[in-house]
Amino acid sequence: MLSPTTEITRCSRRINTLREAVQGAKPGVCTERAMIWTRYFKDKENRKKSPYIQIAEALTEVLKNKSIRIYPDELIVGNYSSKRVGGAIYPELHGVPVIAEAHTFAKRKTNPLEMSNKELRQLLSIVPFWLPRFLAMKLDTGFVKKLALIADQLTAKFYLINELGGVAHIAPDYAKLIAVGTEGIAAEAEGYQKDAPRGSETWCFYEGVKIIAAGLARFGERYAGLAREMALEEKEPTRKAELETIAEVCQRVPRLGARNFHEALQSLFFAQIAVNLESLDNGICPGRIDQYLYPYYRTSLMDPSFSSRQAKELLAAFSIKMAEIIPVFSKPMMRFHGGMFNGQVVTVGGVDESGNDAVNELSDLLLEIMDELRMRQPNFHARVHRSSPEAYRHKINRTLASGSGSPALYNDEVIIEALCRHGYKTADARNYTAVGCVEPVCQGKSFSSTDAALFNVPIMLELALNEGRRFGSFFRSGRKTKPATQMKSIEDVREAFEGQLNFFVKRLIGDLHLVEKANHKEHPTPLSSALLEGCLKSGRCSTGGGAVYNFSGIQCVGPADTGDALYAIDRAVFRERRMTLPGLVELMRKDIPDEKWLLYFRGLEKFGNDEPEADGWTRYVIAAFDSALSGYTSARGGRYVPGLYSVTAHQYFGKITGALPHGRRRGEAFASGIAPVNGMDRKGPTALLNSVNSINFTQIANGVNLNLQFDLALLKGEKGASILDALLKTYFERGGMQVQVNAFDPQILVEARNDPNKYPHLLVRVSGYSAYFNDLAPAMKEEIISRTVIASVR
Amino acid sequence: MSDALTQEAEKSGEKKALVFDIQRFCLHDGPGIRTVLFFKGCALRCAWCHNPESHQARQEVAFFAHCCVQCYACRGVCPKTAILTGPDRRIDNPLCDGCGNCVASCLTRALRMIGKTWGTADLLAEVRKDRDFFISSGGGVTLTGGEPMLQAAFLEGFLPSLKGDGIHVTLETCGHFTWADMERIAPFLDLIYFDLKQMDSARHESYTTRGNELILDNFRRLAAVFPHVQPRMPVIPGCNDDEKNIVATAAFLHECAMETIHCLPYHRMGEAKLGRIGMGRPSPDPDIPHRPDLKSVVERFAREEIHVVAYD
Repeated sequence: MLSPTTEITRCSRRINTLREAVQGAKPGVCTERAMIWTRYFKDKENRKKSPYIQIAEALTEVLKNKSIRIYPDELIVGNYSSKRVGGAIYPELHGVPVIAEAHTFAKRKTNPLEMSNKELRQLLSIVPFWLPRFLAMKLDTGFVKKLALIADQLTAKFYLINELGGVAHIAPDYAKLIAVGTEGIAAEAEGYQKDAPRGSETWCFYEGVKIIAAGLARFGERYAGLAREMALEEKEPTRKAELETIAEVCQRVPRLGARNFHEALQSLFFAQIAVNLESLDNGICPGRIDQYLYPYYRTSLMDPSFSSRQAKELLAAFSIKMAEIIPVFSKPMMRFHGGMFNGQVVTVGGVDESGNDAVNELSDLLLEIMDELRMRQPNFHARVHRSSPEAYRHKINRTLASGSGSPALYNDEVIIEALCRHGYKTADARNYTAVGCVEPVCQGKSFSSTDAALFNVPIMLELALNEGRRFGSFFRSGRKTKPATQMKSIEDVREAFEGQLNFFVKRLIGDLHLVEKANHKEHPTPLSSALLEGCLKSGRCSTGGGAVYNFSGIQCVGPADTGDALYAIDRAVFRERRMTLPGLVELMRKDIPDEKWLLYFRGLEKFGNDEPEADGWTRYVIAAFDSALSGYTSARGGRYVPGLYSVTAHQYFGKITGALPHGRRRGEAFASGIAPVNGMDRKGPTALLNSVNSINFTQIANGVNLNLQFDLALLKGEKGASILDALLKTYFERGGMQVQVNAFDPQILVEARNDPNKYPHLLVRVSGYSAYFNDLAPAMKEEIISRTVIASVR
Repeated sequence: MSDALTQEAEKSGEKKALVFDIQRFCLHDGPGIRTVLFFKGCALRCAWCHNPESHQARQEVAFFAHCCVQCYACRGVCPKTAILTGPDRRIDNPLCDGCGNCVASCLTRALRMIGKTWGTADLLAEVRKDRDFFISSGGGVTLTGGEPMLQAAFLEGFLPSLKGDGIHVTLETCGHFTWADMERIAPFLDLIYFDLKQMDSARHESYTTRGNELILDNFRRLAAVFPHVQPRMPVIPGCNDDEKNIVATAAFLHECAMETIHCLPYHRMGEAKLGRIGMGRPSPDPDIPHRPDLKSVVERFAREEIHVVAYD
């Protein structure tokens, strides 16, 4: 029997070893999924099968043939890729453009990815096969329109359709898988399948579910076999026993229901790998693991040899495994999604389905783990509500005040109301978790394409001031709206802005409908569907609207820039009459060459300073965006809902958008998420939070991102933590939806930029997620450095 | 009080405040999260003052050279021909009567009016914006300046409303005020930070232009009746950090049954502001080193059995 202290040392030694191995590994590209997938689809016989069966069989082939490894000291096993930290390629989705620049991956400055020449040759060899077959080429429209859409998306000026790469963004019903195993799921599908005519679409869907259920079970058994072999050869008795346990666990799960905490976590992680490999590897979220793993934790505790210490070790080992999974982005994609982030959310706390506080020992253990590990994945979130226990809040505040960057905080009252207003049942809304960055969904019930598209809102104003043309362009990209010479009031400007907005939203929705149908037709997701309530019962794949909830989220990028610019027009032209509207447009076209006017525009009131009038314009923009989306329904039968987070798209969209009259020259980045324009929150955090609180977040069903960046010195000690607590508590009590806190010594960021080796694993919150500072593009580093730091006033 | 203020007050029958800055989310001027109101006008002229723009009890035009694009739109609108040319100064302050035409004409905000008049209702609305944060953090409003007590007539109408809101009120004072004013205002205060700068009246006068008799007398009276008065000392090297002054200060505190003093190190923040309002270096120039030796001040007070809370 080990004494408690030796046990603690061994636990932390193992976790440290695992963490160092993962943090120290150079991220790479794994070709296995792409090659196995291609081999499957190159077989003409396979191409004749129903897509449900194709995807299930192809994924089964991947799980059957991919290389498997158990790394030293591991307890939770399952290698996502052939590299310790690696990403897969999805040639049938967005993989072709990714492969096209794969030769640059090893050498590129931001997010380099390792790959051997052999692997590169392999990938290049499959391009001819997929070029006419990848998703964008399967859109149900004319060839010219298809090419036009693809070309448009390569530069993505007005919007970026992420859904062209697949949907994903789910919090699967892992509780069910853990409880009944793949055999339970297959049996359920079998039961429903009996009533469907053989060969019908529904029948094929169930068949696909059964195939992949069996495939996933065998995937676990491969590890059981490997662990047994390794145990035989292992000399060290403790490790030998561990490998034998791993073999026993993997022999059982995910095929059968888990009997204890270890089995539950292992079952979950196998499924996590498989769901990531099925379609888009983005936003696949374990979600509320403190809730659905809790019964297994209690069961394990009845075993006298099991302690909460071991539960923590298993949870930490699991967390580290999540960090082995990374996305492979092409350069154009990185402009929007910087930092090698794929949005695997783990959520703690919050209320249960009856509305009672649900914080438990696992929530506590996870809070400790996120502070101790400080790794980029999983994306840790904590839910809070009015009756969250004081000790829980305090623990979170201490963690944040020490600079861990995690967890991001979510306000139950507001999010639950937002979901209910948009059609969720109360019990389901209470069981929300955010997926990806910040987007709330119901665990196991929602198939929400929460990152369907990102929309460049400020460019609509550029078009509105210029009859639907970009500054300096002969071609009209938007709608022909009233020329500036004929606009007599700010209402005319608004009308033109709304005209452009509605025009492009309509165009976007048209494109999205094509993409939604193509995803359903070409790339259904039987595994994901089996883990989403509603699909099996209805016999409809989640890509066809089979899940209970089916939102699509469109991100409103640049609301504060647009609002401030409109306010500036109102002030300068219509109220102070400093210039005519054509004069203002001319200034913008010339990129505000005159320092005098730049200073004037910059000096005007801006969103974020608790000034009702300026704030009102940002609210107007958000409402206009919401109303532009509100009339449409997706091919899956769900609503389009706005999100107020920008990932890193505010930089890219800013880069391609002309000058705007709030004193922003051409190419400058927009503000991130719902933040004020950088450096324009002049009155401190209370004023900022008041401005942000003036937005009614119950309308923003796809989530919001607010970054608060603090000087670490401010948050020092008990007083610092209590100041943070007061700020966040008040913000939430008055309807704030989400907040994430960065706390560091501003000097450290500058040092980290100047010498990347100095702080190799400095974790920062970017936009709804964490990333290592070194993994960010230079412009994003600069932005984080220049974000307003909340320091003490004197 | 300034002419402009008096005229306006007469017109409306309402007392107005002249405030030159409002800072929110302040953490060092009393407990919790605070909004600090800077009242304009002061009876002292401390050589080390870091808010020189607070001295005059009237509006003044300040010039921020880094914002000026030298368009001279201001020159066309100035009725007093008080606009200067050149990079560093724009306003001939002795000529300027503070009409504000130039400020309105300045697109780039290089010219700004220092001091804004506030009615009770407006100022109340302004501080109420952060009321929720005051409550959740145990914070409130801090009155500072300048010398807020010079605007006691306004405070008399203003403070009861703050109290009614349950907002904690701290006053920071130089101590040079009329006792009768304090008697009317004290019931609405929760905490008073009271500066004790120099115990020797002659030296006090040489640094601040006034002797300290009224100040010490006010402190004695306040200490006797007001439970939450906290003495503070801005530590100015060479002006008040000597053995003699510390011993005298300690003796005075003991006489008033006080055991703790807050010590604030001098900093040169005020210097950059001087040029903006056409002020030169103060006279007498104390020629003060950058950082006072707070540690030895703490030790010397300790020897006199006075506890020091030292600020950063």
